[in-house]
Amino acid sequence: MRLVNFIAGRIAVYVMVLAVGMTILFFVPRFAPTDPVDAMLAKIAVQSGYMDASQVDALRASLSDTFGLDGSLLEQYGAFLRRVFVEFDFGPSLSMYPTPVMELISNALPWTFGLLFSATIIAWVLGNFVGLLAGWKPNSNAGRAMEGLAICLYPIPYYIVALILSVLFSYVWAIFPLTTTIRGAPWSWDLVRSIVWNSFLPAMAIVITTFGWWIISVKAQTQALKEEEFVRYARLKGLSDARLLGRYILPNALLPQITFLALQIGLMFNGSLITEIIFDYPGLGLLIYKAVLQGDYNLLMGTISLSIVAVATATMIIDFLYPLIDPRIRHG
Amino acid sequence: MQRVHSNGRPVRARLARLGTAATLALIAGTATAQEMTDVGTPRADTLIVDMLGARVSNPTNMNMYQQGVILGQGLHQLALSLLWDIDTAAGEQIPVLADAMPEPLNDDFTRFRVPLKQGITWSDGEDFTADDVIFTDQMIRNTPELAFSAAYTDVIASMTKVDEHTIEIETTRPTPRLSVVLGSVIYGNSFYVVPQHVWEGENAATFTNFPPVTISAYEYSEHDPNGSWFLWEKRDDWQNTDIGQMVGEPEPDYVLFRTYGTEERRVLAMANNEMDILTDISPQSLDILLNQNENVRAWFPDFPYANLDDPCERGMHFNTAVAPYDMWQTRWALALAIDIERASIATFDGMMRASPLGVPPTEVLQNTYHEPMTEWLTEFELEDGYKPFNPDFATEMAERLRSEGIDNIPEDPEAQRELFGVGWWKHDPAQAEKLLLDAGFTKDGDTWMTPDGTPWTITLFAPGGFEVQSERLAYAVANEWTQFGVPTQVQPMPAGAFFTAENAGSHEVGSYWAAACAIIPDVFVNLEGWHEDYIREIGVPASANRGRYANPELSALIDRLREVPPDHPEITELGTEILKVLVEGMPAINMFGTSKFVPVNETYWTNYPTAENYYEGPWWWWSNFKFITAQLEPATAAE
Repeated sequence: MRLVNFIAGRIAVYVMVLAVGMTILFFVPRFAPTDPVDAMLAKIAVQSGYMDASQVDALRASLSDTFGLDGSLLEQYGAFLRRVFVEFDFGPSLSMYPTPVMELISNALPWTFGLLFSATIIAWVLGNFVGLLAGWKPNSNAGRAMEGLAICLYPIPYYIVALILSVLFSYVWAIFPLTTTIRGAPWSWDLVRSIVWNSFLPAMAIVITTFGWWIISVKAQTQALKEEEFVRYARLKGLSDARLLGRYILPNALLPQITFLALQIGLMFNGSLITEIIFDYPGLGLLIYKAVLQGDYNLLMGTISLSIVAVATATMIIDFLYPLIDPRIRHG
Repeated sequence: MQRVHSNGRPVRARLARLGTAATLALIAGTATAQEMTDVGTPRADTLIVDMLGARVSNPTNMNMYQQGVILGQGLHQLALSLLWDIDTAAGEQIPVLADAMPEPLNDDFTRFRVPLKQGITWSDGEDFTADDVIFTDQMIRNTPELAFSAAYTDVIASMTKVDEHTIEIETTRPTPRLSVVLGSVIYGNSFYVVPQHVWEGENAATFTNFPPVTISAYEYSEHDPNGSWFLWEKRDDWQNTDIGQMVGEPEPDYVLFRTYGTEERRVLAMANNEMDILTDISPQSLDILLNQNENVRAWFPDFPYANLDDPCERGMHFNTAVAPYDMWQTRWALALAIDIERASIATFDGMMRASPLGVPPTEVLQNTYHEPMTEWLTEFELEDGYKPFNPDFATEMAERLRSEGIDNIPEDPEAQRELFGVGWWKHDPAQAEKLLLDAGFTKDGDTWMTPDGTPWTITLFAPGGFEVQSERLAYAVANEWTQFGVPTQVQPMPAGAFFTAENAGSHEVGSYWAAACAIIPDVFVNLEGWHEDYIREIGVPASANRGRYANPELSALIDRLREVPPDHPEITELGTEILKVLVEGMPAINMFGTSKFVPVNETYWTNYPTAENYYEGPWWWWSNFKFITAQLEPATAAE
């Protein structure tokens, strides 16, 4: 019964988070100073010449209708909730009309997910492995060197690392491309090779700037755990270092790291704005950036909704998984 | 052997050799790779052009009549053609798909005959005929969902076929400038003739037109599914195109439009010879490029490097429906509060041509308006008899820059005027103060109070992260006005918000430009926008006169201009009168022509237009770019 209550409570929180998130998401862009219809009118005026007042009004009404922006704010809100939760449709992009928002998102999502998922996992595995060893032998030269490296890399702004990598490896030694040029037949090795080649520098920039944090955090965890009574007891029992690390330290040190990893993966759906802008990488971050610049409500709501759903879902899944990972919670 | 190894030297030597070999292999590999572009075309046969704007997120939609479709991937510049386009060097329209300028068939300019070029074919081999033009007319007319439909049908009453290559056009009202309505003067025009055999039976509001059947010398070849590049290939039958008939065979077999993203990466791409033509960068980036790659050329080989002939000049545009900017004294006082030399240096290191008039100081227009009006400007008086014009600005600016160590500043006063403009308004804070006090402003200590008794501060809207000259100019002017005693805050805005504010009239002052554009002596095209017909109340978008400037004298002059054909001798006279009225009322402080830093790379291609080889302006993103492409020569041929 307790388990059922626990699951029901978490699902209720999940639904509430989604409802509040979507509501904020709907209203906030509407209070922004950008009106997509007016922005479109300005664009049309540049090419089509001046229009008198009646033409402007007619065109404005037609565009509002086309973009689903007619009706009161409440009516628009109702239509928005229906479209999102029932049809999972965000309508057409306003800045790239009539392309559907879902089409733009589904084109961009694999790029963001592929890049950020692989870079995050690499950074996580590398950082935790190095941090664990550094925390286990904190006074060794290797341990100190690792910590020093982490402390040096972690504070460098991502933008700087990305620019340095670009200049070094796309200009001074022009090994990697300056922009993504993906070629190859669908599902071919050429295509895979092309994607990996083009994604290498952006991924490298993410790994370099994030794995330091994993090192520092897991090292601190490891050092603290080493002094725990259950570890000292195990050591006194004569267990080997490998067994101590593998069975006693690692599972406990990794617990918070898994939480952060899951949140990171949830946040991935935001796209990595700066990565994608700097490397001109065709993912969700670049889409969000465009949507903000051009006041494209539908696109903005589509991309951010995805992020809200992803973070809320990731958090809920972690909550469900925690009892399986940590016996203290299961039996608590 | 073991002993030698133990000290590490042979290992290091071997590593060094390996490193050298690897580096050489890398260089060799890179050199080989540079023979081909990364999209698989021979580099020496490929012209690579910077795509204006970011990557295209909907790359497989090339329907130029849909609102959100991007055309800057080469479709507009290279593959499509207009009935009439612009010769930017001569400052006049030229027939392209049409065979001549429109011939008026009556005295009130409502009926015209237009001959079409013969021997033109679409890229799929079908003939281009009058049927295509008539079909396009009907398609636009019968598809009201197209944004262009309303504006089009408002002017064009009908098109009828006379024979296979002649049409007649009837307009809804006197339209002496039919070629302006249906052809390009600045950037392009929305009237693209479509191939009837492709579009017939399609719904123009939803048809994606992909891959497009093109009419000019290049056809679609390939694109990046993520929209970062588009490859266009020279048509085998290029002779049967407008370019083939008007210029000859274009040399580049391929034209690759591509984006590299941020300015830093675009600059690296050109420095790396991965880009031949760049759009619009900052003077600082140009400086880096010129130092990094000896084959990179700017418009001028020396100061001012930039092309100064952009058809839209920059300045401060008021919302004249909002107090205190509804008073001419306020606007004139703010003009006289600006030190134009300081503003020029703060914006683009002085690499700018000043303009006191409402049309840009391009070579053609400076000769038509600025120079002839200098005497009037010098003698022009405000109501109290004050003469605000400083005709010596060019000489003073030249001296100032020379004293700051800038080389290659001309000594000849005529050359100085050509470079820096015919003059600008005096920097005279005392006269500005007098104007304000006369208008009812007061001073409380150092604080200016508006006539209604509130402290005067200015929020100055500026482009945020785009149109770098207007953005920087806003900060320079804000500094001037703040020094004068009116605290001025720059509000940088993204494009959508920036233009929405101007349309809806929610700005006080903005670093805008749309009302100050022109390229041919018939300045009707943009000056018409000052007519009070276009004024809308604040909050309602206006398609022109976004400064809400109501001036009956100005509107009457524009009404007269509306009736005069573009080649009439009265055109310049009327244009001059309109510009005088705009000076008197000062609804916008016009400041500088736009300096475009648009470098080219001569590693693979030469004969780009430059100041010394001015056959076209460097507007790579305009519809007339196809004429530039057709005149480029391979670098190897030039050697």
